[in-house]
Amino acid sequence: MLVALAGNPNTGKSTVFNALTGLKQHVGNWPGVTVEKKEGWMEYNGKRIKVVDLPGTYSLTSYSVEEKVARNFIIEEKPDVIVHVVDASNLERNLYLLAELLDLHPRIVVALNMFDEARRKYEIDVEKMRNLLGLPVVPMVAIKGEGIEELKREIVHGKFNPRGVEYPEDIEKRIKALEEKIREMGLEPARWLAIKTLENDAEVIKKLSDIGARNILHDAEHLRHEIEDIYGDDIESVFASVRYSFAHGLFHEVAAPINVGGANITDMIDHVVTHRYFGIPIFIAIMYLAFQFVFLVAAPFQDAIDFMFNGKDVAGGHIDGLIDISYAWMSSFMPDWLASLINHGMLRGLGAVLTFMPVIMLLFLILSFLEDSGYLARVAFLMDSVMKKMGLEGRGVIPLMLGFGCNVPAVMATRTLKDENERRLSIALNPFIPCGARIQVFAFLSYIFFPENAALVLWSLLMLSILVVFILGYVYSKTLFRGESQPFVLELPPYRMPTMKGVSVHMWEKSEGFVRKAGTIIVGAAAIIWALAALPWGVEYGGEESYIGMLASLLAPVGYALGITPEAIISLFFGFFAKEVVIDVLYVLYGSKDAILAAMTPLQAYSFMLFMLFYTPCVATLATIYNETKSLKFTLFVVVEGFIVASIFAFAAYHIGTLLGVGA
Amino acid sequence: MRLSELKPGEYAIVRDLLGKGPIHQRLLSMGILPGAVIRVVRTSPFGDPVEYEIRGFFISLRKNEASYVEVDKIIPLVSVPPGSRVRVVLVDGGVGFMRNMDSMGISPGQEITVLRGCCPMLVETARGKFSIGRGIAHRIFVR
Ligand SMILES: Nc1nc2c(ncn2[C@@H]2O[C@H](COP(=O)(O)OP(=O)(O)OP(=O)(O)O)[C@@H](O)[C@H]2O)c(=O)[nH]1
Repeated sequence: MLVALAGNPNTGKSTVFNALTGLKQHVGNWPGVTVEKKEGWMEYNGKRIKVVDLPGTYSLTSYSVEEKVARNFIIEEKPDVIVHVVDASNLERNLYLLAELLDLHPRIVVALNMFDEARRKYEIDVEKMRNLLGLPVVPMVAIKGEGIEELKREIVHGKFNPRGVEYPEDIEKRIKALEEKIREMGLEPARWLAIKTLENDAEVIKKLSDIGARNILHDAEHLRHEIEDIYGDDIESVFASVRYSFAHGLFHEVAAPINVGGANITDMIDHVVTHRYFGIPIFIAIMYLAFQFVFLVAAPFQDAIDFMFNGKDVAGGHIDGLIDISYAWMSSFMPDWLASLINHGMLRGLGAVLTFMPVIMLLFLILSFLEDSGYLARVAFLMDSVMKKMGLEGRGVIPLMLGFGCNVPAVMATRTLKDENERRLSIALNPFIPCGARIQVFAFLSYIFFPENAALVLWSLLMLSILVVFILGYVYSKTLFRGESQPFVLELPPYRMPTMKGVSVHMWEKSEGFVRKAGTIIVGAAAIIWALAALPWGVEYGGEESYIGMLASLLAPVGYALGITPEAIISLFFGFFAKEVVIDVLYVLYGSKDAILAAMTPLQAYSFMLFMLFYTPCVATLATIYNETKSLKFTLFVVVEGFIVASIFAFAAYHIGTLLGVGA
Repeated sequence: MRLSELKPGEYAIVRDLLGKGPIHQRLLSMGILPGAVIRVVRTSPFGDPVEYEIRGFFISLRKNEASYVEVDKIIPLVSVPPGSRVRVVLVDGGVGFMRNMDSMGISPGQEITVLRGCCPMLVETARGKFSIGRGIAHRIFVR
């Protein structure tokens, strides 16, 4: 048995899905698109039932990917039952989608979710609703698990005698006429196809014309014009009106408003957080606090993981980590190079993936908290007109902000952007935002080279990165990433307290997805970096005679032009792996802090930092970019744009600085 | 006038949707179609987008999208000052509610006079004088 969950966004669909399936679920993509697909299994009386979560939509037209995915699943996979998750506190609007579903599928269970909130606004006569619809209707409070058992029972044993949507006679007559013809051709679901053809639905019309159903299209056009003439309006509005009258009528039949006086909490919060002047400062303050929280909590975990893998240098020696121990053990029975590859290459790679995890998980925690609480929509509202200048909608600010923490979750968070073109643009810009690891390196170098003005130097780098993102966004959106601007209609849902369970499930899904998908790529890249640094076998690891060393001396002239020393070039190679190791590598290659200070002028250090600010994102980010876009070409583009911007800035800074005679 | 020309706190009733394709359909599926009542809630810091309330929920539209919506400005009865004579445009509620109002002479097209402001309000209709509570006065729109 197959069950599909349909519903508007923000109605608690995920919560219902989680409650039905527990943790027996699988998250992937719908074929060919980057819309998330969740599947799981629920059990009822020993029966195992597959549950698929459809994308949240307001209607079932062919104008958006989500809507197409949802309706095509229903048509092609023919689920036995559709559960329509309705936000009962927003009943009238939600019933619009029910009108569309009724045309499409006979077995619908209406899950009246958020019944707790609805009770405060009106009294809903559930029994009357059942009778009027001829469908099972289950009031529920998904976050508390209320109604889940009844929902399961109705899915399996429910009785369905749907009344359907009543169309006015002059439309119904024409639907019937077309339906007859479509059925004769053996096409199903005939009634729905007839309605959609009349409605001028691009996808359905294309399908019909592909199979050569000329006469049907011809008839439909004729009938459509008749309807438009009768109602004096375009066909889409006519059908939408019918569906809204259905929703409106049903709503007023079953819901009796309770007169609620007093202030509305959401409105009160919005009064402050979307305030003309305070709104944006509040947003920045919230993000600042969130980052403080992330780094504070993540640091001890990161240190512990790092210690576990790499051990630790202590006064008078070195405590062995997993890598040292396993290397010592393996080299006792296998060739040294193989043991080194496995441990110094791949195992270290795995360690790097895992040290990312605390930050990634916490950033996702923040993200789901912002999303589930409803604040994210306000951010989009606040920032839209700023982001529009860079070709993004308001929500585009979130991935960029997250980038200051780590570009990996930031790239994954671009999914909040619905438009594919904007999503790619947002991914292309993200690596220019310096992540926590890079900021750490900058803080360290600024402190060594500019002890007096360290903060100023750090700020200049941050501001520069924001400037670059703005300018590139502006230019890209007018050139490479020019797309049709999509209508930006954003719902501002009431504020809700996110549940621990909802937030943690979301956080876990995403982080686990990162390890599973990007993990292998990162471990592979770790092996390659190892090979470059350790071969030809026998040379000093990462030294001048290694392949990395050779590459670095090959690139020395380029480095020279940019003011970057060969040792610094080597550190950048390792930085590709994980940016924070740049400092360690410089230490190892130069020997001490003073030697680093002696080897570069402050100007050189600054141009090195500029280069590092923009050059290729780290391997984990690239792996994520590849996973999110599935395009090698695009991933390569991100690397190339990085190098170009990095070179321009480093070159300009170094030469202008030299001319002016500063920082020598 | 266009929806984009209204100011926060003002109400309007949708007369027509201009434009075609995705914008048109997106607006329709959010419930913006002829006859729907819209309230302008607030503007964002830079004036665009603007938050609207429609059918009990809240959405944000950019000026560009809002300019595709042709509207007529209306006033909730509750904010009509005493002494004004106004024409009822819309009674927002179910069949029962509309019938009740109709029996008091409050239905679209009728003229009424506000004798005392909110609340309870006192209005004079073709059927006589009636006292109206805040909840109801919020669901009657006039011009
Ligand atoms: N009060 C109340 N809140 C609920 C209920 N069910 C879900 N929520 C909350 O509503 C918010 C949205 O729930 P989700 O399950 O993420 O909704 P969704 O429909 O999957 O939303 P999208 O992921 O945006 O499509 C969360 O903050 C939930 O905790 C309910 O029955 N009552």
